[in-house]
Amino acid sequence: MSDAEPEHPDLAAQERSEEPELDRGVVEAWAAKMISNPDRAYKSLFYIATIFFLLTTLYPFFWLLMVAITPSGSLNDVGVLTPGGFNPEAFIDIFQLLPFHRFMFNSFLIATVSTVLVLFVASLAGYVFGRLRFRGKTPLLLTVLVVSFFPPAAFFVPLNRLFNRNVDVLRPLLADGSLFNTPFAIVIPVSALYLPLSIFILMTFYAQIPDGLEDAARVEGTTRLGALFRVIVPLSAPGVATAGVLTFITVYNEYFFSSLMTDGRPEMWAPMLEGVLAFRGQYEILFNLMAAASIVAVLPVAILVIVAQEKIVSGLTSGALKE
Amino acid sequence: MASVTLDNVTKAYGDEIAVEDMNLEIRDGEFLTLVGPSGCGKSTTMETIAGLTQPTEGSVYIGGRDVTDLPPKDRGIAMVFQNIALFPHMDVYDNISFGLRLRKYDQEEIEKRVDRAAEIVQLGGMMDRMPEEMSGGQRQRVAIARAIVRQPDVFLMDEPLANLDAELRIHMRTQLQRLHRELDTTIIYVTHDQAQAMTMSDRVAVIDNGHLQQVDPPLTCYNAPDNLFVASFIGSPAMNFFHGAVTDDGFGSEFMNLGFDPEEIGATPGKDATLGIRPEDVYLKRDREEATVPSETIKAHVDVLEPMGDEVFTYLLLEEDVETSAEGRGEGQLLLSLDPQTDIEEGQKVEVVFDRHEAHLFDSASEEAIAHSLA
Repeated sequence: MSDAEPEHPDLAAQERSEEPELDRGVVEAWAAKMISNPDRAYKSLFYIATIFFLLTTLYPFFWLLMVAITPSGSLNDVGVLTPGGFNPEAFIDIFQLLPFHRFMFNSFLIATVSTVLVLFVASLAGYVFGRLRFRGKTPLLLTVLVVSFFPPAAFFVPLNRLFNRNVDVLRPLLADGSLFNTPFAIVIPVSALYLPLSIFILMTFYAQIPDGLEDAARVEGTTRLGALFRVIVPLSAPGVATAGVLTFITVYNEYFFSSLMTDGRPEMWAPMLEGVLAFRGQYEILFNLMAAASIVAVLPVAILVIVAQEKIVSGLTSGALKE
Repeated sequence: MASVTLDNVTKAYGDEIAVEDMNLEIRDGEFLTLVGPSGCGKSTTMETIAGLTQPTEGSVYIGGRDVTDLPPKDRGIAMVFQNIALFPHMDVYDNISFGLRLRKYDQEEIEKRVDRAAEIVQLGGMMDRMPEEMSGGQRQRVAIARAIVRQPDVFLMDEPLANLDAELRIHMRTQLQRLHRELDTTIIYVTHDQAQAMTMSDRVAVIDNGHLQQVDPPLTCYNAPDNLFVASFIGSPAMNFFHGAVTDDGFGSEFMNLGFDPEEIGATPGKDATLGIRPEDVYLKRDREEATVPSETIKAHVDVLEPMGDEVFTYLLLEEDVETSAEGRGEGQLLLSLDPQTDIEEGQKVEVVFDRHEAHLFDSASEEAIAHSLA
């Protein structure tokens, strides 16, 4: 190449850092800037998406709070961002006007019992589906899955009739021998409906525990069941936590059976949902109390999720990666 | 301490038969090794003894007690696994004491026993480490401590050294022998590595294809293999084989002829037979005095030399145009091991003899041994 050879015009254009000055509108200029510096575009898009997400998820809570702290007389004055007044007494009233704590306890109990039941049964089923080989395993697994496809309403009528029937065997245990108006009327159907999901989660986890560990536990002195609860379950802690928390939240938030399987009185084991709706009187709907009750009702689940968050995240992702 | 007896044990997985009609008697305090190629049924045999799998037919006795239907925990056994199988969520102390805690021993007794076991395998001061913080050899020692702490009647070891590096494996090999001497417990050891089988065992049980081939002390398996499989499996490098037939005055094959009186060793003239000669029983002609009963001279030329340091594996071709295949040593090839000082190079023509006293003759059809000396 000789020095005399003229430089290609593109080379010079590439070395100019700025675009040539052009007369452009604001949007066009902004677009040009983003094209020349895509990192900025990604960054601003990230913030836009985050803010949008936070707004859509958190704004309802914020607005609930605004409603809750508005005195009942000025509920019409609640704005988009501002309360109609300031009176935090609603958070105390909900416990005085009605035993809302009892509703919450009922819900908590129902969710806890369901979770324990689901985890226990799903552990056994997960062990069988995940670790044993037997004829008809896949059809059986699909059958279990099909149960969760049914709409809850399909079960309601037969279950309601069943639970209202007096069963003599249950008479010593339950006052009138029927399951209606007991926690079991909710625990039984929701546990059955949410069991398949937990079976699937635990199955994937239990299947990954090496056979050698189970063999070692059995040689060391456990039964198969002992090996499951002493070795396989502890090693699958993230999976168990995930299944447990998912079940707890779903049962705690469950609407259908919760609203239909009791008569709505707190002493009859009505869950939190009935408590929130109970502030709807004949002549007046106490929106501020309902809002306060809703916020209080969310707290246990929020705390649970924050505590178990790390385990759940690792559980969800590791289950997804390994299978 | 106890003897272990397998009585007509058969294990089938569907149509696949893993172990067929196995009869095996393991004496009290014996170190017996089950050895064979991968998939021969040795691990299944061990799992049957452990109770981790139920035999399809037959019975298992430990110390004279029929344990066929007992779960593993009630058989008085302890096991060391190939993948070590320490419980990852427990520290060393909890791992070792797991079995004792399950059996509700009192705290003092547990501590005493764990200390003793840790001392035997030299694990002092590591009691609160987690398995993931330990090296392979340390984990293996924890697994052994976990097995000996319960003072079982029988130890089962399923390829316990397979996942260790070569140096550690040899070290642990001697450790295990010391352990056996110290504990004097029956040990059943599974391996596909014949070096481990030869060095450690009182007796070796060679298994192939789900069938027991030979149960004898290691040197008997080496010097007097019952059949072709044992002859080819035991010994490294493997025996040289020549396929031919028994003639009226000896053995004849394409590359190798040997004169002897068939009647004297119980061979039937006309029957197909296989001659087996171990590489270490072949000598260069000038070293022929080393053979007890040297054979006639065989002419060959050197194909490949493999210097191993302490010896040189020398592959000979008995004729110029012998086909060599990747499958292994074929007809017309002869392997001998030579002293590394030997002045020899590839392509060279040599004359060799073998020790007739150490030559083996097998019936090709039944694969059974006919004679272990053709002197």
